[in-house]
Amino acid sequence: MKRRALSVLLAVAFVAVSVLAANAATKIGFTYIMSGPFSAYGQFAKQGAELAIDEINAAGGINGQQVEGFFEDSTGKADVALRAIRKLVYQDKVDMLIGLDSSGVAKTVVPSIEQMKTPLIITHAATPDVTGSVCNKYTFRISVNIAQNIKAAALLAQETGAKKWTTVGPDYAFGHQSWEYFEKYLSKLNPEATFMAKDQVAFPPFKTTDFSAYITKVMSSKPDGVVISLWGGNLIDFIRQASSMGFFDADFEVLFTLGAATEVLTALGDKMPEGLWVGTRYWFLANDSAMNKKFAADYVKKYGAYPSYNAHGAYSAVYAYKAAVEKAGSTDKDKVAMALEGLKLEIPTGMIEFRKEDHQAITDAHWGKTAADPAYKHRILKPIKIFKGVDVTPPVAETGCSM
Amino acid sequence: MEIFLLNTLNGLSWGMLLFLIAVGLTTVFGVLGVLNFAHGSLFMLGAYLCMQTMQFFDSFWLGLLIGPLCAVVVGLLIEKYLLKKVYDRDVSYQLLLTFAVLLILDDAVRMIWGSGYHVVEPPEILSGIVAIAGQDYPVYRLFLILIGPVIGGLLWAFFHYTKWGKIIRAASFDNIMAEGVGINVPLIYTSVFALGTWLAAVGGALAAPQQSLIPSMGEKIIIESFIVVVVGGMGSFPGAFVGALLLGLLESFGTVFAGRMQMAIPYILLAVILLVKPNGLFRKGV
Repeated sequence: MKRRALSVLLAVAFVAVSVLAANAATKIGFTYIMSGPFSAYGQFAKQGAELAIDEINAAGGINGQQVEGFFEDSTGKADVALRAIRKLVYQDKVDMLIGLDSSGVAKTVVPSIEQMKTPLIITHAATPDVTGSVCNKYTFRISVNIAQNIKAAALLAQETGAKKWTTVGPDYAFGHQSWEYFEKYLSKLNPEATFMAKDQVAFPPFKTTDFSAYITKVMSSKPDGVVISLWGGNLIDFIRQASSMGFFDADFEVLFTLGAATEVLTALGDKMPEGLWVGTRYWFLANDSAMNKKFAADYVKKYGAYPSYNAHGAYSAVYAYKAAVEKAGSTDKDKVAMALEGLKLEIPTGMIEFRKEDHQAITDAHWGKTAADPAYKHRILKPIKIFKGVDVTPPVAETGCSM
Repeated sequence: MEIFLLNTLNGLSWGMLLFLIAVGLTTVFGVLGVLNFAHGSLFMLGAYLCMQTMQFFDSFWLGLLIGPLCAVVVGLLIEKYLLKKVYDRDVSYQLLLTFAVLLILDDAVRMIWGSGYHVVEPPEILSGIVAIAGQDYPVYRLFLILIGPVIGGLLWAFFHYTKWGKIIRAASFDNIMAEGVGINVPLIYTSVFALGTWLAAVGGALAAPQQSLIPSMGEKIIIESFIVVVVGGMGSFPGAFVGALLLGLLESFGTVFAGRMQMAIPYILLAVILLVKPNGLFRKGV
C-alpha cells in the first residue's frame, strides 16, 4: 500500500516536472523600493516592467519562452536589498536581475553580483561608482548616471555665463557627488567659474521637510547660480517653500538636476514656476520616435499617468534583456552578460549602447525649461535640450573601471 | 542681523509645529501612561483628511476644521477597540500595539490615496509674503508662529480653569483615587486620547501647506516629537513648549553654524539633557 502511494506520488511529480519544463519561463527578478517614503518609485518601476513583460509575452515571449517577473522590496536599505537579491538568485532561480533605486544600495550590492554570476541591469541608481570603481562583468546600467546628468548641467551652466555657483543637495552620496562633478566639469568649461566653500553650500539632511533655513542661507550668500540636486518629496517641499520666499525672483540662475521628474511635476501642478531649467533621466515628450510615442500612450492608457523615468528604466531594461538573449541565442547567464556588452538597441528615449569597457549605457541626457501648456495639468519642458550621449558620457579612462 | 531674525522666525515656525505634535504625545503619556507610536500616523492622517476635505469643499479652513475631527473618530475607534484592552498590561504590549496601529494606518492611507506625493495649498489670505528685514517672508509661517501659542494657551487654560481639565489632571495624578471619588476614569482616558489625536491631526493639517503629503510623513516627525517630549520632561505641558522651541531654533541656527553637524543636533540635545537632567527640563524627580 505504502509503495503504491509512493509510486503514484512519483508519477505525479514526474508529470509536474515535465509540464513545468515544457513551459519553462525565463525569470526576471526585480528589486526596487516598494515600501516606505519612496515606495512610489518602486511602484513606477513595477508598472514599467509589467507593461514590457505583458507586451513581450503577448508577442510570443523571448526566444519562445514566456517571461515571468519576480518583485522584491529593497526598502532602500543595502542589507535588505542584498538579501532580496540572494533570494531571487538562489531561491527563485531568476535568469536576470533588474532594479536598484538608491546609489547607496547599488554600491553595496554590486560587488556581490559577481559571486552570484547573474547579470544585473541597474535602472535608477545614479552613482558613477557602479560603472566605475566597483564595476564588474555582470553589472550594467541603462539609465543616465550622475556624470552624464551633471555634464549636461555644466554645459548649460556655462551657457548662462553665471560665475559664482553654489548648491542645494540631499546630504548623502548623491548630493555630494552631484556637486563634486559639477565643480569638476564646469571649472574645465569655464575657468572663471567659482564654487562656494563647504560651509556656504547647503546639504539638508534627507528627512528635512522645512527648508526655510537653507533657502535663507543660499539667498543671503548672493550666488550667480545655484545647482539643485534635491529630488522626490524634498524637491517638492523645497520648490513650494522657495517660491513663497521669493527664491525664484532673485537674481541668480537655477538648475534643477532632477526637476523634470513626472511625479514631482504632477504633484506641483501649476505651482511649479515657469522658465526654470530642469533635468531628468527620461522625458516622455523628448523623443518623437514611434517607439516612444507608443510607450507613453500605452503607459497612460494602462496606468492613467505619464511614464516617469523609473518606469522607463524598468521597461527598457526588460527589452534590453530580450535583445541580449536573442543575440546570445540562450538564457545562459554568462552568455547574456557577454551579449549585453556593446549591445546597441532602441529604447523609448532613443538609441543606446552598453559601453563594452564600463557597461554604462551611452544615452542622451535631457534638460528643458518648465513651461505651461493647456494640454497638460502640469508643467512640461519647452524648449527641450537634448545632450547627446557621446557628448556627456565621460571617457572610460575617467571612470576608474577595470574589469 | 537679518540672518539672525530670519533664522529665529524659521526656527519658531518649525518649533510651533513640533509643539502641537509633542503636546498631544505628552498629554496622552501623562494621563494614560501610554507611549503612542502611532501619534505620527495620526498627524499624517490629519494632513490627508484635510486634503480630502479641501477637495470636497475647496476651503483650507473647512479642511482644518473637519479633517482633524474625522481623525478623532479614527482615534476613538483605536482607543475603544484596541488600546483599552492593554491599559493594564505591561508597557511592551502598548508599544507593540501602537506600533501595529502605525503600520496599519500608513498602509491604509497608501491604499486609499496612493503612495505618490500630494500637495495642499495654503488659503488665499495666508499665501502671500511680507517684507521682513529686507527679505520676503511667507505669511503662512507667521501664521504658524501665532497659532502654536494660541492652541497651547487654550489648552493650558482648559487644564487649569475648567472642571474637566482639573478632573483630567486629577486622574493623571492618581487614577485609583480619582476613581474612588466617583470620577469616570475610562471616560477620561477616552477623551484624552481623542484630544491627543485631535492635536496630532491639527498639526498635520497645519503642516500640509508646508510639506508634501506621503504616507510615511508621520514617521519623520514622530522621532523629533519624542525628542521634544523627553527633553521637556515626559508628560510635561510647559516642557513640550520649551522643548519644541529649543529644538526648532537649534535646528534652524544649526544650518548656519554647525554645517554637517546639524544632523546630530537633536540627538546631542537629547543626550545632554538626559545626562544633566535625566527627567527632562520640566519634570520633577520621581
